[in-house]
Amino acid sequence: MTTSKLLVTLVGAAAIVWVLWYFLAAPRRPGAERARPRT
Amino acid sequence: MTAAPPAVDSAPGSGTRRRVTFPVAGMFCAACAARIQRQLALTPGVRDAAVNFATTKATVELGDARFEDVAAAVREAGYDVGTDVLTVAVAGLRFASGVARLEAAIAAVPGVTEAVANQAAETVRVTYVPGFFDARDLEAAVAAEGFTLAAPVAEGDPVERERRVREQEVRELSWKLALAAAVAIVSMVASMPLMGGAAIRHTDLLARLVMPLDASLRQALPWLYALDPQALKVGLFVLTLPVVLWAGRVFYRGAWRGFQHRSADMNTLIAVGTASAMLYSVAATFVPGLFTGAGLPADVYYEAVSSIIALILLGRLMEARAKGRTSEAMRRLLGLAPKTARVFRDGVEVVVPAAEVAVGDLFLVRPGEKIPVDGIVRTGRTAVNESMLTGEAMPVEKGEGDEVVGAALNTTGAIMVEATRVGRDTALAQIIRLVEEAQGSRAPVQRLADRIAGIFVPVVIAVAIAAFVVWFDTGPQPALLYATVVFVSVLIISCPCAMGLATPTAIMVGTGRGAERGVLAKGGVALEATASLDVMVLDKTGTITEGRPAVTDIVLVPVAAGDDGQDAAAEEAAVLRVAAAVERLSEHPIGAAIVREAAERGIEIPEAQDFGAREGRGATAAVGAHHVAVGSAAFLIDQGVDVGPFTDAIDTLAARARTPVLVAVDGMPVGLLGLADPIKPTAIAAVRTLKLLGLKVVMVTGDVRKVAIAVAGEVGIDEVESGMLPAAKVAFVKRLQAAGRRVAMVGDGINDAPALAAADVGLAIGTGTDVALDAADIALMSGDLRAAVTAVELARATMRTIRQNLFWAFGYNVVGIPIAAGVLFPVAGVLLSPVLASAAMAFSSVAVVSNSLRLRRFTPSFAT
Repeated sequence: MTTSKLLVTLVGAAAIVWVLWYFLAAPRRPGAERARPRT
Repeated sequence: MTAAPPAVDSAPGSGTRRRVTFPVAGMFCAACAARIQRQLALTPGVRDAAVNFATTKATVELGDARFEDVAAAVREAGYDVGTDVLTVAVAGLRFASGVARLEAAIAAVPGVTEAVANQAAETVRVTYVPGFFDARDLEAAVAAEGFTLAAPVAEGDPVERERRVREQEVRELSWKLALAAAVAIVSMVASMPLMGGAAIRHTDLLARLVMPLDASLRQALPWLYALDPQALKVGLFVLTLPVVLWAGRVFYRGAWRGFQHRSADMNTLIAVGTASAMLYSVAATFVPGLFTGAGLPADVYYEAVSSIIALILLGRLMEARAKGRTSEAMRRLLGLAPKTARVFRDGVEVVVPAAEVAVGDLFLVRPGEKIPVDGIVRTGRTAVNESMLTGEAMPVEKGEGDEVVGAALNTTGAIMVEATRVGRDTALAQIIRLVEEAQGSRAPVQRLADRIAGIFVPVVIAVAIAAFVVWFDTGPQPALLYATVVFVSVLIISCPCAMGLATPTAIMVGTGRGAERGVLAKGGVALEATASLDVMVLDKTGTITEGRPAVTDIVLVPVAAGDDGQDAAAEEAAVLRVAAAVERLSEHPIGAAIVREAAERGIEIPEAQDFGAREGRGATAAVGAHHVAVGSAAFLIDQGVDVGPFTDAIDTLAARARTPVLVAVDGMPVGLLGLADPIKPTAIAAVRTLKLLGLKVVMVTGDVRKVAIAVAGEVGIDEVESGMLPAAKVAFVKRLQAAGRRVAMVGDGINDAPALAAADVGLAIGTGTDVALDAADIALMSGDLRAAVTAVELARATMRTIRQNLFWAFGYNVVGIPIAAGVLFPVAGVLLSPVLASAAMAFSSVAVVSNSLRLRRFTPSFAT
């Protein structure tokens, strides 16, 4: 595996983890949890 | 006699109002709606909030929150409340000094965001939020400052307002689409010479399709191929820039707003996808060394950027047009009310706008005209077609003292009507409000779709990055180019929007269609529950039967009844005549039925004197020179009457669940009347169809067992529960539910209210004027039980459409994303170009909305 491929793989993996963390796992602003939208 | 205004929605601005529906600006996707809803739910004083992406409206249930709090919450979420503009004429403004004060006073009216006075024109331009704003508050504020309005303010016509908003949206989208499409076509042609050596053209489906064009283009436009490739690239960049900055700005702005709130939606996908293609192309244009140095061709993808934006805008445009049609039913309802009324002011007939009719006004309605507002007939007789409110096509006879509803069509005679309910209190206005709220509500099935849409976009971004890495590491050369194309395609093809639209559009069309058919569902929850019912519990009185006793049989003294039919009719009339004379003085419902029967037969009822009644048993009076007794057999025996000749007939009537009432003149029995609560003629067909739909039909009643069984037998119901008080009905419904059944209760909404509320679905049966709507989940505007069949059929059709929509939306993504990621490449050697991906994406949203629109053609079994 060339250096560039290794680099892209590492950066890609980090990006995936960050995207999932930022949009799904990171705590929202306080109180957001109990405010489940009522349907 | 004047009915109190029903308490569906109390006076606006009075502090007691609870539910408000208002527009929200800047919503692009279902995820936006969820975000605003979350923010509203967090606001202190807001008890409940529902935001509908399809209507771009929010409905909040307010506790002590004020307009400012709600508006602040919407802005906090990154959006704004939608406003409308109204221009009011103020008398004498030109020479007045307190203009600034007037502006401030108007701006302080709840729901008003801005007020600008124009002294030259003597007008004030008021910017307000529909739903929060009430014209009466504005009038009061103007009056408090010592000014008078030159003309009353009618809050902007909702039909007109809706149309204007749609038109503006369509116009703006059209212009942006025109630019993006023109640039896309020019770019595609201009890119041809640049694609000469591009490796990807052999694998890209679209490139393969356009390859033959390349040769003919080379012949047609040789000068294009003679141009300097670098100059061509710069030219394409200049062309593409306005597409990105103007036509596609909404996507980037929406994505950024979402990013700040840690939420990702379809704007994120489009923005990241097109921005990647754009940045790649810009780098290849201005620093080609970056690519050529690494041995890569410096290809550009400007045409992909413009095409993607153009295609998605095309999808949005078609969606906006289709969404306009989903609210068509509402527009039709609003269009029902006539615009003017012939009001008598100081004895003179004047034609005034219907909005200006006040309670107590007398107005004339000529044959063929629509009744402007709700009222009571003061003079005249006519037949009124109320089909727009009840779904019932037969005109209803109306005479003095009868209630008529606004928007009904007066058919045969001229009537003078006294207005009892006007403006937002009329039956039509309430129906419209109910439909609006129902259309804005969310069905439980949407919870799943919302949850999936929320995690969908981040997952798609992750998949796109993964695909990029895999292609870069293991794909053919030039790997960076392939990897970029795949990355962009995956982002562009996935469409959370179709998922977001699947439920609300179907609910909107379904509830709208129901309203046209006299079935008012109070929202998605009611429709979803109705679609999955097992048992339908019918109340007897008022639901299966007419709800009031009527004379069904007249038996004459066996010897008196001649063979001649004419004689018999005359005899019957004579019996009814004396019986009605006595009963006219009684207050018993049985007495009322006898009087009604006599009146319907055109019998002139004589005066009676010396009236005496024995509670629940009978009555006596003097009619002319005769002593007449009317009542039960026991009562007449007490009066010394020999009921012997009627003994057999009484037994026969009792066996058929009729109430026997004997009539005696001067101590001699002359006739026997049989009374019963007659079965509605349509009930039998309704019950049969409900059974055909797979529902178990049960009848409950407070009546005695014998009557209950007779009625149930006549309409074809096998299971009967009799002698039940309201609490017992509730217990019965709960028992069924405990056994795992999903139960609907159909009742007339007053004594059945507890059971209606306890059931999974409560269906209130009645007329448009009776607002028993509050207790039930679904209101059947006509008294026809067949409307319950329509409700079930409509609910099932709506849920079927929702399931189709969700299946299509999810299935599309499940199939599309792997193809875009290139799973077909090792097998078939083809890749999906980002341009094709965007076309597929636009198509999926349009397909879902179109499928929902098919519900407009829903036809129930019964054309009630």
